[in-house]
Amino acid sequence: MIRLDRVSKSFGSVEALQDVSLTVAAGEFVAIVGASGCGKSTLLRLVAGLVPTTAGRVVLGGTAVTEPRADTAMVFQAATLLPWADVLRNVTFPLRLMRKAKGKMLGDTEARARALLATAGLAGFEHRLPRELSGGMQQRVAICRALLQDPRVLLMDEPFGALDALTREEMSLELLRIWQGREMAVVFVTHSIPEAVLLADRVVVMSPRPGRIAEIIEVGLPRPRSFEQEGSPAFQRAAQRIRALIYGGRVAHAA
Amino acid sequence: MRPSIRGALPSLIAVVALFAIWEGACRGFGIRPFILPMPSLIAAETWGAWPVVLNHTLATFGTVMWGFAASVLISLPLAMLIASSPAISAAIYPLLVITQSIPKVALAPILIVALGANELPRIIVTFLVAFFPLVVGTVAGLLATPPELIELGRACRAGKLQELLRIRLPFAVPFVFGGLKVAAALAVVGAVVAEFVGADAGLGYLIQTSMAFFRTPLAFGAVVLLAAMGIVLFQAVSIAERVLFPWSSGADRPVA
Ligand SMILES: Nc1ncnc2c1ncn2[C@@H]1O[C@H](COP(=O)(O)OP(=O)(O)OP(=O)(O)O)[C@@H](O)[C@H]1O
Ligand SMILES: [Mg+2]
Repeated sequence: MIRLDRVSKSFGSVEALQDVSLTVAAGEFVAIVGASGCGKSTLLRLVAGLVPTTAGRVVLGGTAVTEPRADTAMVFQAATLLPWADVLRNVTFPLRLMRKAKGKMLGDTEARARALLATAGLAGFEHRLPRELSGGMQQRVAICRALLQDPRVLLMDEPFGALDALTREEMSLELLRIWQGREMAVVFVTHSIPEAVLLADRVVVMSPRPGRIAEIIEVGLPRPRSFEQEGSPAFQRAAQRIRALIYGGRVAHAA
Repeated sequence: MRPSIRGALPSLIAVVALFAIWEGACRGFGIRPFILPMPSLIAAETWGAWPVVLNHTLATFGTVMWGFAASVLISLPLAMLIASSPAISAAIYPLLVITQSIPKVALAPILIVALGANELPRIIVTFLVAFFPLVVGTVAGLLATPPELIELGRACRAGKLQELLRIRLPFAVPFVFGGLKVAAALAVVGAVVAEFVGADAGLGYLIQTSMAFFRTPLAFGAVVLLAAMGIVLFQAVSIAERVLFPWSSGADRPVA
């Protein structure tokens, strides 16, 4: 579905990504972890078509990515909702902007949006303004907004980074539930190793300066996933390995 | 309605108290009316001349509204132009600052000579006094749009025009209204400045002629009416904001 072919990206003299190759299958859930500044956001923005590569190419469904595509949706760390629009209009904003929800289509889009909001536990909040919602609810709206585009690729840049630990766990499982019902590849950037292991089929570990892929870890846990699996040896092994890669083995020897 | 009345109560008490002290001081110290008239005398004289005063008020109000309208019509597109590119901004902003550094009182006679003794120079002076904060506020709003929102727009394949109309402009609304409130108050100032220099009607003209004949209370009446006009316009803008853009007058709006 997504293929990065020896991709490099520089901002002036800063080499954000160097020679990154990665393939993500259709419907696959891939997490990306790595130290701050190792180019995770840059990688997502390359796939989203928001920035061009310096070298190499990004191919999505057989065609090279040169600009943002309608079948790719993005969720940012902050909810980035329009403060003037209510929840429903926020969720339908991308489709209205892309003129995919006009006239008769709009009614249909709004019906789908309401259904989606209901599954995200936001029924009854359709006509609230963003500032009337909690941080977790706002982020749910942002995720609904991305899902309503029915993307084949969902790019998430630390989507739960601004949430408290409880909300975060709850929303991880919710995300998995929604993903399972769809044919949608997810690329999920996070700073939480347990979160990455819990969610992903594979975890891409990146190393900084310049940003490269250090290793790709297969998480061999059965689905559906749950927090009980955190105690399992397979989970521990994966988490341990990722930690060792990120900290260069320092943590493994610490205690 | 209730809460707004309760909110207005302190300012009402303050104004009443001010007038009461003023009245008391004038009577107590025996200040002569042509130096500082007491409020009751101001009210009586103004009321006594009310058909004339009303005409002058309407004349000033007309100038204020035309100047304010011109400010809005010119400032908003100008702000969009400035916000659209750093190069345009670098070219236009210094010119705008120059127009602000020129004393409008000095400019008014020149304009009257150039354009004739009619309404136009007064409207232009009003515009020149009022438009600047509106431009600055609108530009600030257009540029304050969070980069994430811009990126969201780009990810949704929005073009530059769509980005401006669907994201930047709505985001700038609270800033625009901040500018509009200042512009409304300044438009009154601008109109009076213009009337001081060349006019045969208006509250500015009334102040000048009244003072020439030592009718100080009438001049004070005109000043009070000007203040009232400023307050009414300011409130009208605030109400328009609340009615048209309820989300704008909420929690995290910029300080106007
Ligand atoms: N628009 C840009 N202009 C210049 N440099 C940039 C830009 N975007 C990213 N960089 C640089 O590229 C490098 C990678 O940035 P990126 O945001 O991709 O890191 P990240 O892995 O997402 O970090 P974090 O975990 O803190 O979000 C950094 O050194 C950053 O300074
Ligand atoms: Mg990042």
